[in-house]
Amino acid sequence: MNELSRSAPERAASPAAEAWRMFRRNRPAMLGTAIFLTMLGVVIYGSLFGGDPFEIVWAPQTPPGEDGFVFGTDYLGRNLATGLLVGGAPTMAVGAAAAVLSIFIGVTIGALAGYYGGWVDNLLMRITEFFQVLPALLFAMVLVTLFSPSLVTIATAIGVVMWPQTARLTRAEFLKIRELEYVTAARAIGAGNGRIMWRVILPNALPPLIVSATLTVGVAILFEAGLSFLGLGDPNTMSWGMMIGANREYILDAWWPVTFPGLAIFLTVFSVSLIGDGLNDAFNPKLRER
Amino acid sequence: MNTAAYIARRLFYGLVLMFFVVVLNFVLIRLAPGDPAEVIAGEMGGITQEMLADIRATYGLDKPIATQLAIYLGQIARGDLGMSFFFDQPVAKLIGTRIGATILLVLAAQLVSILIGVVMGVFAARKPNGVVSALVAVFSTLGYALPVFWTGIMLIIVFASWLPIFPVEGMRSARFEGGSFAYVLDVLHHLVLPAVTLAIIFLAQYARLARASMIEVLGADYIRTARAKGVPERRVVFHHALRNAVLPILTVAGLQFGNLISGALLVETVFNWPGMGTLAFDSILRRDYPTVMGILIIGAAMVVVANILTDLGYRLADPRIRTEGGRR
Amino acid sequence: MSPLLDVRDLRVEFATRHGTVTALDGVSLRLEPGETLGVVGESGCGKSITALAIMGLIPMPPGRIAGGSIRLDGEELIGAPERRLRQLRGRDIGMIFQEPMTSLNPVFRVGDQIAEAILLHQDVSRDEARTRALELLRTVGVPDPGQRIDAYPHELSGGLRQRVMIAIAISCQPRLLIADEPTTALDVTVQAQIFDLIRDIQDRLGVAVILITHDMGAIAEMADRVAVMYAGRVVEEGPADAILDSPAHPYTRGLIGCIPAIDPALAALDRLPPLAEIPGVVPPLHLLGQGCAFADRCIEAVDICRKVAPPLTGRGHAVACHLHAAAAASEES
Ligand SMILES: Nc1ncnc2c1ncn2[C@@H]1O[C@H](COP(=O)(O)OP(=O)(O)O)[C@@H](O)[C@H]1O
Ligand code: SF4
Ligand SMILES: [Mg+2]
Repeated sequence: MNELSRSAPERAASPAAEAWRMFRRNRPAMLGTAIFLTMLGVVIYGSLFGGDPFEIVWAPQTPPGEDGFVFGTDYLGRNLATGLLVGGAPTMAVGAAAAVLSIFIGVTIGALAGYYGGWVDNLLMRITEFFQVLPALLFAMVLVTLFSPSLVTIATAIGVVMWPQTARLTRAEFLKIRELEYVTAARAIGAGNGRIMWRVILPNALPPLIVSATLTVGVAILFEAGLSFLGLGDPNTMSWGMMIGANREYILDAWWPVTFPGLAIFLTVFSVSLIGDGLNDAFNPKLRER
Repeated sequence: MNTAAYIARRLFYGLVLMFFVVVLNFVLIRLAPGDPAEVIAGEMGGITQEMLADIRATYGLDKPIATQLAIYLGQIARGDLGMSFFFDQPVAKLIGTRIGATILLVLAAQLVSILIGVVMGVFAARKPNGVVSALVAVFSTLGYALPVFWTGIMLIIVFASWLPIFPVEGMRSARFEGGSFAYVLDVLHHLVLPAVTLAIIFLAQYARLARASMIEVLGADYIRTARAKGVPERRVVFHHALRNAVLPILTVAGLQFGNLISGALLVETVFNWPGMGTLAFDSILRRDYPTVMGILIIGAAMVVVANILTDLGYRLADPRIRTEGGRR
Repeated sequence: MSPLLDVRDLRVEFATRHGTVTALDGVSLRLEPGETLGVVGESGCGKSITALAIMGLIPMPPGRIAGGSIRLDGEELIGAPERRLRQLRGRDIGMIFQEPMTSLNPVFRVGDQIAEAILLHQDVSRDEARTRALELLRTVGVPDPGQRIDAYPHELSGGLRQRVMIAIAISCQPRLLIADEPTTALDVTVQAQIFDLIRDIQDRLGVAVILITHDMGAIAEMADRVAVMYAGRVVEEGPADAILDSPAHPYTRGLIGCIPAIDPALAALDRLPPLAEIPGVVPPLHLLGQGCAFADRCIEAVDICRKVAPPLTGRGHAVACHLHAAAAASEES
């Protein structure tokens, strides 16, 4: 149905503007954006005015809504509302930093492999395979314990284990794009390798990379939560994962101390996922018509 | 390339990967702050100077770094993963008692998620805009966004506490009496919640993939040929289409083993499942590095083996690979 | 004698982004037992859709049969229960497709794919079906059939795969064989072999054939009658000789002008008025307006062509063109 799908020329808009227009009309994506911005607002507010989440304020395991505690208290009698307000900051910060690091490594390796091909590609892909063989969480656990947990080590560890997927995707895009005419044209006018890679190919590879980067943020957040849950987070910083981990021995007595922080993590990652799907649809309008 | 040569090549490549895993371990211990001997001993109290001297001797820590590496590689090659000073047992033996439980959990989760995922995907593909398709879309977002350890806890609260259908934790009942069949049932009973928890993450991915793959295959020319032969629709879908549609799922399933093991780590901790995950958790809290490192090596080895097995499965399922040689 | 196949006024629509398009707009075809009907026309004219409609394989949705009738031996196929259609497919009607490379299932052995067709329609054992599959491979000229029966499609060349497709199509001795551009995807040398094979099979089985092709040479050699399609309609229909010797529709003349005259057998066609190839392309269906669909590309178009669609008129040799109608009318008067 090729001749049918090529419709009468619509008014040409820049691809980014067109994608933004599609994104704005996508209800789930807008819902995701709204949830994400809300969570972000709460987290920023919480880290400024949240108070001390470690302070014991009331009787342990006060159910939500009682005695003025909207979310109740945990097994030590700490206010869960304070924890929820404050505990998002490390999760989001570490998630974002780890995602940036992993995208940086992944894009660099994937771009070099896809652009140069040959032995460079071979070597870099073997390294990528090597990192895919290591169970990521286990490896991150080892790194964190060997180098003592702090927000920086945790973010680094997560970033270091997450990049292979990005590398593969980037490589595939570069392999595809480097054969296209405008790359040949750029080479013909004497552009160097670096310029072609970062100024010519990368911008054209961005749509799928942006989608994947969004999803990487979500995975990084889950990673941070998992490590904190295991007690491998920074012990001096309250985080959602840590709240779940600390209270998990008592779930049969009190459901709320583990439920609310988990919901917070879920909502954050869920919103990121909706945004990612929305971006995907916005960049590939054809896929949706199936 | 024939299958024997292929297996040989894959095994060799797997060994090369494992070699580098071991080297990485070695490097990590040297990079960690502090004296390697103390790192290896772990941060438990009561390490005597004799113990440290012992460690130095075994690992050749006073020799040049290359010799140290050679000694370490030699130990690993002999299956000696070192000594756990906390458990006072060889690491290999410790892992040996735990690995079965992890494999059981991982395989059960993989099986459940692939089976249910494929079934959902097939039904969704039949009606790309239908209810099942919508369910698949919802599930895949949930599967991506749910923190697996939290899902596990929620399932415990609902299905072990509020509705006491399944046991809260462990792999077998404390005071178990009964024959071997009853024993199997008891383990399966304990397995349900952890396996489902772990499966939820992957189920959604498989369903989404199966749907896309099935939609594509159902539009293929050979499906039209089958219909033109008069093949009944049910057979078109489950015989002609499914055999082709599962191929990409096999590939992805192979790539998921690393993530499965990572997920199992958390799920085991939540359910107190006596596998390598709980062992890793315990030994990390005790700074029992030889055990942690041993688990990392064995975990990587499990992924390598799983990858080889999936590749072999793929070769069986897709005749094109068998004659054309390796798959990239 | 009643025709084997009688297609009348067939209309097929597709739901697309641009609304409903009419892919077949009143197509009528007749085929006597053992006869060969050649169907020609550029890509997108509706040849394959016609074939699929006869097989009952129009993808629905997005497709829809909006009207008309398809009778096989007097039996109405439109609206017939799926069970009945399934019986006819593969047993009474066999079909060969354009893409031998992708038309066989890559994960099954070719012998099993042939045997499956036999097992579906005949009450035979697996062994019996395999023996017949072997015979069929021999019939369609696959060398070394004892080996090839256990081959997977990717182990065979395009030509051999097409022979396997033919084996499947004739496995139950159908009364009608539809070959939809069976050679388009093949090497030139192989093309002639496949046409020879189809003709040979037709001689042996006495099967009626609908041959869809761009190869006017093959039409000249094989077809008894020819239907020329354009934009979902039959624009000219009649005996092969008549159409090849004196094409009446401007489109047909353009098509025949396109023949690459490499085959000496086609030299005879040189007496045709030499027409350059037709400028332009088949218009997208959703852009079709009223009037003759060919008008935009027709060098002979007159005013009425853009307003009124010309009906297919004439007995024996029928043409849908205002000019022809006028000429015929003036001859009669
Ligand atoms: N699935 C479909 N959806 C929409 N339009 C279709 C579909 N299949 C075929 N068509 C339309 O029907 C017309 C006839 O197609 P076809 O019969 O395949 O042409 P050909 O003569 O080349 O075999 C084409 O113009 C095409 O646009
Ligand atoms: S009807 Fe008119 S436009 Fe159509 S083919 Fe005849 S002359 Fe050309
Ligand atoms: Mg066609």
